Amino acid sequence: MDSEDDMHDANDIESLDDFYSGETAMDSDDGDENYGFIDNDSDASDDSTSHRPHRQQQNYTILSDADIRQRQEEDITMISTVLSIPRVSASILLRHYNWDVSKVHDAWFADEDRVRRVVGFLEKPVHDATRNVTELTCGICFESYPRDRMHAAACGHPFCTSCWRGYIATSINDGPGCLMLRCPDPSCGAAVGQDMINVIASEEDKQKYCRYLLRSYVEDNKKTKWCPAPGCEYAVDYVMGSGNYDVTCNCSYNFCWNCTEEAHRPVDCGTVAMWILKNSAESENMNWILANSKPCPKCKRPIEKNQGCMHITCTPPCKFEFCWLCLGAWSDHGERTGGFYACNRYETAKQEGVYDEAERRREMAKNSLERYTHYYERWATNQSSRQKALQDLQQMQTVQLGKLSDKYMQPESQLKFITEAWLQIVECRRVLKWTYAYGYYLPEHEHAKRQFFEYLQGEAESGLERLHQCAEKELQCFVDDEGSQTKDFNEFRTKLAGLTTVTRNYFENLVRALENGLSDVDSHGACSRTASSKSRGGRSKPGSSRSGGGSSRGSGLDGSTHWSCEHCTYANVKSATTCGICHHHR
Amino acid sequence: MANSNLPRRIIKETQRLLSEPAPGISASPSEDNMRYFNVMILGPTQSPYEGGVFKLELFLPEEYPMAAPKVRFLTKIYHPNIDKLGRICLDILKDKWSPALQIRTVLLSIQALLSAPNPDDPLSDNIAKHWKTNEAEAVETAKEWTRLYASGA
Repeated sequence: MDSEDDMHDANDIESLDDFYSGETAMDSDDGDENYGFIDNDSDASDDSTSHRPHRQQQNYTILSDADIRQRQEEDITMISTVLSIPRVSASILLRHYNWDVSKVHDAWFADEDRVRRVVGFLEKPVHDATRNVTELTCGICFESYPRDRMHAAACGHPFCTSCWRGYIATSINDGPGCLMLRCPDPSCGAAVGQDMINVIASEEDKQKYCRYLLRSYVEDNKKTKWCPAPGCEYAVDYVMGSGNYDVTCNCSYNFCWNCTEEAHRPVDCGTVAMWILKNSAESENMNWILANSKPCPKCKRPIEKNQGCMHITCTPPCKFEFCWLCLGAWSDHGERTGGFYACNRYETAKQEGVYDEAERRREMAKNSLERYTHYYERWATNQSSRQKALQDLQQMQTVQLGKLSDKYMQPESQLKFITEAWLQIVECRRVLKWTYAYGYYLPEHEHAKRQFFEYLQGEAESGLERLHQCAEKELQCFVDDEGSQTKDFNEFRTKLAGLTTVTRNYFENLVRALENGLSDVDSHGACSRTASSKSRGGRSKPGSSRSGGGSSRGSGLDGSTHWSCEHCTYANVKSATTCGICHHHR
Repeated sequence: MANSNLPRRIIKETQRLLSEPAPGISASPSEDNMRYFNVMILGPTQSPYEGGVFKLELFLPEEYPMAAPKVRFLTKIYHPNIDKLGRICLDILKDKWSPALQIRTVLLSIQALLSAPNPDDPLSDNIAKHWKTNEAEAVETAKEWTRLYASGA
């Protein structure tokens, strides 16, 4: 990966970086926000310039316990003020209407009497015949007590303190239904509010009630949901109808607000649900198919993958370098050798002129389980690769950045490019993972779409592999090696930052295309594929891939409707003035 | 022993049940467990259960009156809201229970259920279906069962 080609690319991209970030500041900010790492190290000034704008354009808000409480109090205050009713009543009313302030207003002003009847607000007591009696009989325990030891809701039905306490405790232990508590008299529907709970219930029950009230504000409210991460106590308030459902909780968990599965953009919730169901149904088969190890394709020794990227090197003496996914030689995967990164491809149809590996894959395609296995394996491998990258990122932030800072005498702020690279890897692994669920459900007969999709996925994937490799292996050299020069380190910086940018662009293209349902496929999709193939064909040994066949057809189209980027060879539509991939000017 | 700590409410309810029984209903506590009642309900007039004497058991759990009493028919009965084990589908025995209800109100409700079967909220699907598709025939079966199993022997 240290080839001149790569360094050259990286340098050029670096020089374009300023231009890029100026042009698409909004996009890149959005991207950063999605990673969800609250950078504790960033100083205050940084915060004010970069983080605040995100908050404004974000379509959701993360709510802490205190935030939820505050909003709840504000809503209660508003209803209480506008309707001139006690706060306790406002709370009951809001709960009844799922904490929707405008619904409460609408219902109340449309028919106040009906609303009062439904929620159990009485204008005056129904049971006041006992005004002059000094002793009352409790309707539950049948004991007589002096008036001051009896309690009643607004209706006036008297029950003694200990029976009330038992009644309330039973209701609270039964669950959130206690928020809709009514007078124990079966013929009476008078509401029992938090004021009575607070006077009568035990300390423990009061707290439970409070908790249910808080939970209700999140769970019954149509626009808030709890973060589904285990142990996380934040809730997310979402602006309905604002499109993108991906949210990042303050706990750093990234999830889809709509279906509360982990974030899966650009793949839609329906596909994800199908895929997850499929996985649970097939998981028993998968368990043995995807046992934790694979034999080295050369020496057959079992290998467990415990590092993030797909480039595996068998231990000496074998030292065979291969791709973990297809078990083919790694030398077939790099661009320099003219091969193409084919591990995203799965072809059931017989194709002419495909290299030997295809024979094996066609065998696999005979069985639908094997087809599924193909996608599942890649989905799962990217998942675990992402987990590993997350750990590496953490390790980087807590330990290695400090070391590097000392060793190369760089302030840690100058090492942000490393964190950015790892954040990019984490995000890309997530996207790449879900594109395999997408690919599984992409109809076989949509050949053009499939080809376009696999092309974009392949480009993105190989970009990511280069980035991951660089961040993982090359960086390790600088951490370990005492002899490295600051000059080398600066070169490394340029390379890693460049790879980060290129990979981000590839993935943005992929995401955009999938979100459009691959609708560009008729216009520039097919051309960009052939154009790219052409350029690769030029660098590769003739006939080493199927790109040779497409090149002549592609060049004809190129001249009239597209221009090929001088820098990265991407075929852009004629109207574009800058390249869609590398943002190089025409 | 089990009776030593009997709450005042249960004692009072028992006394009142014995001194002023509801029409067509008798309930008396078991001698060795004051929380266990032997109940008899007469089949209401104008119902398919008329002329029948139905035995039930009623038990007051430890949490009573915060929790509902447990009631079950011992006599076989053909009714859409009562299953073959004698369990009863009645809202006040479940979520609509209130501590202000009593044994007396529960038994009166059960009596009313015999007068007005509710096949739309069934416990026994077969009987409910029978009731809805051919009520006359279902009523005949209920009468037959009343004669066979509840004739007061």
